Amino acid sequence: MAIQVQYYLLLSAAMFCIGLFGILTRRNALLFLMSVELMLNAANVNLVAFSFQYGNITGQVFSLFTMALAAAEVAVGIGIILVLYRNFKDVDVTKAATMRW
Amino acid sequence: MATTLPTWTALGPALLLGITALVLLIVDSIDPDTSNSTLLAGLSTVGSLAAFLFAGWLLVSGTGQPQTGGAITLFDDQLVVDGMSLFFALIVTSVATLVTVASHDYIADQPYQAEYYSLVMMAATGMTLMGSANSLATGFVSLELASLPSYALVTFLKKNRGSVEAGLKYFLIGALSSAVLAYGISLVYAASGHLQFDAVASAVANTEFVGVLGIGVLFVLGGFAFKTASVPFHFWAPEAYEGAPAPISAFLSSASKAAGFVLAFRVFTTAFPELAGLAGGPVTVDWVLAVEVLAVLTMFVGNFAAATQEKVKRMLAYSSVGHAGYVLIGLAALGGAPDKGFVLGASMMHLFIYGFMNTGAFLFIGLTEYWDIGRTFQDFNGLAKQAPLASVAMTVFLFSLAGLPIGGGFFSKFYLLAATAQSGTWILGAALIINSALSLFYYTRVVKAMWIEEPVNDFEIDSYPAGIYTAVIVAAVITFLLLPAFGLLSPSAVTGAAALF
Repeated sequence: MAIQVQYYLLLSAAMFCIGLFGILTRRNALLFLMSVELMLNAANVNLVAFSFQYGNITGQVFSLFTMALAAAEVAVGIGIILVLYRNFKDVDVTKAATMRW
Repeated sequence: MATTLPTWTALGPALLLGITALVLLIVDSIDPDTSNSTLLAGLSTVGSLAAFLFAGWLLVSGTGQPQTGGAITLFDDQLVVDGMSLFFALIVTSVATLVTVASHDYIADQPYQAEYYSLVMMAATGMTLMGSANSLATGFVSLELASLPSYALVTFLKKNRGSVEAGLKYFLIGALSSAVLAYGISLVYAASGHLQFDAVASAVANTEFVGVLGIGVLFVLGGFAFKTASVPFHFWAPEAYEGAPAPISAFLSSASKAAGFVLAFRVFTTAFPELAGLAGGPVTVDWVLAVEVLAVLTMFVGNFAAATQEKVKRMLAYSSVGHAGYVLIGLAALGGAPDKGFVLGASMMHLFIYGFMNTGAFLFIGLTEYWDIGRTFQDFNGLAKQAPLASVAMTVFLFSLAGLPIGGGFFSKFYLLAATAQSGTWILGAALIINSALSLFYYTRVVKAMWIEEPVNDFEIDSYPAGIYTAVIVAAVITFLLLPAFGLLSPSAVTGAAALF
């Protein structure tokens, strides 16, 4: 095997952290969604890499499920962001704060 | 049994709920503008009631339980039907039935009713399947099947800013936590090479990636903390429950929480028992300790926050966080307990009774929203004069939630206390007692407002919606009946839980 498996873990951890950073700092709901996608893809990197490592396809199949779910989640999310825009005239997630935290 | 049904019928409750969801969609596609809410609510009630009765029949006839040959596994061990999954199917379907009955009046004036009921049924399907998941893959997919309709349902009142805000917060935190869960699952897979629980359990026993596995287990725990509204992923709960339509708040805080717990129970007791030394081996990843910390934190955060609220619905939302802490005792007290089935069974019983008393309490809030009498404690002043029957029901719910011997909540808390005593985790027992005493304070505020205070605003209640009333009163009667009938159900919970060890 050319690339050692630890490097995949590093790559996925980096992707996960970039996504998490985006979620914590971005105020635009669409960028928030993209950051979540990045985090889900970090999981996919792990799954595919270790699927190769162990020689079973469980991880690859599960990564397909993850992608499908990510798409479904975005579909619901875009719908919610649309009604957010209609009600608050903005997609800034911090604007929707009529209830006390 | 003389005649044996094919094994796939063990999934009957989930299948019935799924079919009901599809039938509702067909009705909607035949007549897209239908506002015949009696037909739609009736269909979904019949569907969920049928699923409830079927799950009850399977449980009573011993399907998937030791006396009939043990758990039934389906689809190459990806799904399992046993005492615990049927018990939770019972919880989910009973809550779904109450919610659909109450929704009949609550959303009578709203458009898109068929979609509403269909989404409720789909979410219930996902929650029922979560109880049967026997692999991290099916667990994750069914968790998302429960989550995605829930996001849409919380946002159902599209022109209500509170509902939209609640849905947004629920969705954002839900998307984040599902990403965390997926990453945790990928790390567990990285350390073990499997997703099926038993295979994970045997593979992690001698893994070389203990660090990776530890982080994975913690992330998976975090993902479940979201679904069960436990610390540290609890802060969506008060927002989502306050802004959502009240029947949906009831659905999420009871059924969704129970489904999150059953998946957590199964993952941690069948896939990761070795890590915490539950099977007698060395402790590598001590998740029991982590859950213990989370349980204590969740109890205190939930109850102290509930005590400071001004709005009744928000108070109930925080109390629901506190109850997640009580239920976590079932995992947290596993460490030193000689009878692990009893510890987990106590949590299952608490979730079952909680399913009725908490659903009922939120549906009562739905009733007050229907009357539009306001949301704060003062707005409830003198309500008992206008609606004595509903107020009696609410009193039963609240005192049962607090753990007074007026409903089944007394015995389930007593069992949880006995479980902590058995395992010697005195800190959990102390937290349970302190928080129950505290919760009595804020539950009593509502009861006092309803029965003793004089009304501040003049309000006339001119209509008594039959659907919500029926649901509230049925829930109250069952909550009360579970006090004498507790002993009938607890053995099935305890044996269902014991089968996991």
